[in-house]
Amino acid sequence: MGIYAEPRFLPCGDLALSVELGDDINREVNARVLALEYLIQQKALGGVTETVPSYRSLLVYYDPFTVGWDELTKSLRALCREARPEVLPPARTVQIPCCYGEDLGFELAAAARKLGLPPEEVARLHASTDYYVYFVGFTPGLPYMTGMPARLEIPRLDQPRTKTPPGSVAIGGIQCCIYSVESPGGFWVLGRTPLRLYDPAAGDPILLRAGDHVRFRMITRAEYDAIAAAVAEGTYTPRMERV
Amino acid sequence: MPSVLIHDAGPQTTVQDLGRRGSLRVGIPPSGPMDREAFLLANRLVGNADDAAGLECTLIGPRIEFADERWIAATGADMPVTLNGSEMPRWAGFEVKAGDVLRLGAARSGVRGYLAISGGIDTPPALGSRATYLRGQLGGFEGRALRKGDCLPLGSASGGAPAEVHEEIIPDYTVEPKVRVVLGPQDDRFSKRGIAALFDAPYEMTPQSDRMGARFRGARIEHTRGHDIISDGVALGGIQVVGDGQPIVLLADRQSTGGYTKIGTVCSFDIGRVAQVKPGQRLRFRQVSVAEAHEFLRAYRRELDDAVHTEATS
Repeated sequence: MGIYAEPRFLPCGDLALSVELGDDINREVNARVLALEYLIQQKALGGVTETVPSYRSLLVYYDPFTVGWDELTKSLRALCREARPEVLPPARTVQIPCCYGEDLGFELAAAARKLGLPPEEVARLHASTDYYVYFVGFTPGLPYMTGMPARLEIPRLDQPRTKTPPGSVAIGGIQCCIYSVESPGGFWVLGRTPLRLYDPAAGDPILLRAGDHVRFRMITRAEYDAIAAAVAEGTYTPRMERV
Repeated sequence: MPSVLIHDAGPQTTVQDLGRRGSLRVGIPPSGPMDREAFLLANRLVGNADDAAGLECTLIGPRIEFADERWIAATGADMPVTLNGSEMPRWAGFEVKAGDVLRLGAARSGVRGYLAISGGIDTPPALGSRATYLRGQLGGFEGRALRKGDCLPLGSASGGAPAEVHEEIIPDYTVEPKVRVVLGPQDDRFSKRGIAALFDAPYEMTPQSDRMGARFRGARIEHTRGHDIISDGVALGGIQVVGDGQPIVLLADRQSTGGYTKIGTVCSFDIGRVAQVKPGQRLRFRQVSVAEAHEFLRAYRRELDDAVHTEATS
């Protein structure tokens, strides 16, 4: 289990391949995926046109007329040996204000009953730790995160919702996510952030990045409304620091 | 400002260019034309660069009015073309004048029709592209499909010349296509019988298909140990097989990552043919190796480069 001795190269049609580095979800494997992507960018690896990181693999799009399969996999194999977490630049910690419960966190009470904890305790535990963003995707800007206290581990909803409002902070299994656009969902919605994880009108529409750390800050409903108004006016700056 | 006015938009007409690059890593798909070949040839017919923005029309085309002289060309789905009520050729460039009204009718075959206008559509690029991503309300014209009354800005046109696509290149969308597939990335999660099913029998396009993915119905594709994987990146053409054993081919507006097994990937040069299959119509999948796919890609690019015949001497 964990990191493979040698990476696996899996064909994805005529223009892409997947570099798989391990067989489970853990931060060590993921850090290597992100380090591999970073090295490809830094070295401007010839023929690579786009990359997509996920938990344990990197999807690499390439131009087969610039670089063939054999040459590309040889270069990638060499880069995989260098792709250790230390090569990555310092990570960011992004603070995400979140209003728990009330009308926004409409499944906090039900999740609390399921977990056998008071709702306030679920919110407090959820906001008490540091989360790690493995990657961002599925829908624009949606972070896949772990780091939840073990006591909040919860099976996914039996019946997925057809619509989840953007900004919903939700948990399922050992994972936490923040819905970035209105979409179906199978996680329990504990609260909502007034920040926009995807804002098509912004020059840079995406808030969170792979490798980021996230801290939730508990806010009141009044604070939620105030921040939401500032976000709409474009006057709110999210708090970020390097760790 | 030079422009075109939309009198009728059709059910889903969008501004597209060749798509955005580099944003899949944050979950934003490339978008762009579903049938890249037809789109590209339309641009070449009017003397545009390959990445100039044009219109993608779905099943029924728009009715639009021009405000100045332009060269235009309609390709892709077989939508009858009329200019001020007179029938005009498809897969060929022709000139329009200020006040002319062009209409693309209902597709007799195929699904997606393309209209290129010399100078290209000049809406503001988003993340380096004018392609419309409908679900993300990004790019194109206000991030949405066109509506009656929209006025699209055009870039400056630099002359044109009569041109047409060689007849033998024009696809017949009524024919059942064979699309080429490279196995992987998760072909090891399917039984021998499951893989054989994919290639043995035809699959029918269902109405639950859109720019995100084409859903097919046919022989059940059998897994060996479940359909869930640890979520990974989804390439263009990825054939996702979920619990019901039916394939979904992921297209221009696909999700960037997914947690279902992908048995194979439709090659880039056959994606356009998938995009032109109507609901109820069938196609077949054919297995090729990566090396064969690259040879086919080379031949496809050569064919595209020789496809347009221009009368101009320049």
